[in-house]
Amino acid sequence: MDADHSFYLALLGMAVASYACRVGGFLLMGWVTITPRLEAALRAMPIGVMVGIVAPYVAAGRPPEIAGLMTVAVVMKLTRSDIVAAVAGAAVVAIGRRLLAAG
Amino acid sequence: MSAEPVRFTREGVWRGFVLAQPLAPGVAVYGLVFGALAGERGLSWLQSLLMSVFVYSGSAQLAALQVWSAQSSAVLALVLTVVAINARYVLYSAAIQPWLSQVSRPQALGTLFLLGDGSWALAMREYAAGYRDAGFILGSGLAGFIPWIGGTLVGYLLASEMPDPRAWGLDFMLPAFAAAIGISLWRGRADLAPLACAVAVALPLALWSPSGWTVVLAGLAAGLAGALRHGR
Repeated sequence: MDADHSFYLALLGMAVASYACRVGGFLLMGWVTITPRLEAALRAMPIGVMVGIVAPYVAAGRPPEIAGLMTVAVVMKLTRSDIVAAVAGAAVVAIGRRLLAAG
Repeated sequence: MSAEPVRFTREGVWRGFVLAQPLAPGVAVYGLVFGALAGERGLSWLQSLLMSVFVYSGSAQLAALQVWSAQSSAVLALVLTVVAINARYVLYSAAIQPWLSQVSRPQALGTLFLLGDGSWALAMREYAAGYRDAGFILGSGLAGFIPWIGGTLVGYLLASEMPDPRAWGLDFMLPAFAAAIGISLWRGRADLAPLACAVAVALPLALWSPSGWTVVLAGLAAGLAGALRHGR
């Protein structure tokens, strides 16, 4: 119940944040100039967020997950498809966990 | 060469919808993944659906799932995560403003609700080619939105049928996807400093003080590095 309550509060916040980004540039044009420096900052942020998502799995240092992440990197280089790379990574993790459980 | 006057017609909406169809299968698969992960991380079908409708951003929703499962009370962290991921839309909507500012306010603001990466890129290409019917932007946005919602629901249903998601590595799909997206975002050496700063912030946090804030602070560190590095 508590978690549900805060989920809907968070959902409202996320919805407002998302829409504000979508209309932000449109409404701000003419008031604020988006300098190249600001643009560089806005463009650099998503890569940092992705690092933040992956970091706990690297920090935990479990072999199946580390092997899975390396698989993602290699398959991504080879296929340039994020779906294929993610599925391959998850498959390696599933196999690794089975091997660990068996061993 | 004089461009056509700006309009907003049903024909434009339809043309955008048709021309953006090549984007639809990828969006649907992405939606499947989100729906499945949302179920795996404990969201209900309604919560997953509402998130897809109102946040409508694959990478932001995936990041939010990670923050949520690390720390379910961090409302502010969730909001900032969405801002950090969707900040690029500020650039998109600024770039498309000269076109959309010539239609009515409700039309422009409604169209922007559905703005996505693929539909924006497609619309900008049409605008550059001299096409001026702003209905196109709405149509191409709808072409992404519909498979996104459908994919979310189907993915949620499929995952809830799965007996043991962990044994299949489904829980790992989230970081796997994040790593893949991170690699696809890589544009060369300009991203090295943001990446290094994000790692320097995120790894110690993940080791010694794990929380949803890791994601936000890593994003901010990368943004700061990007700004400082600019022009060097």
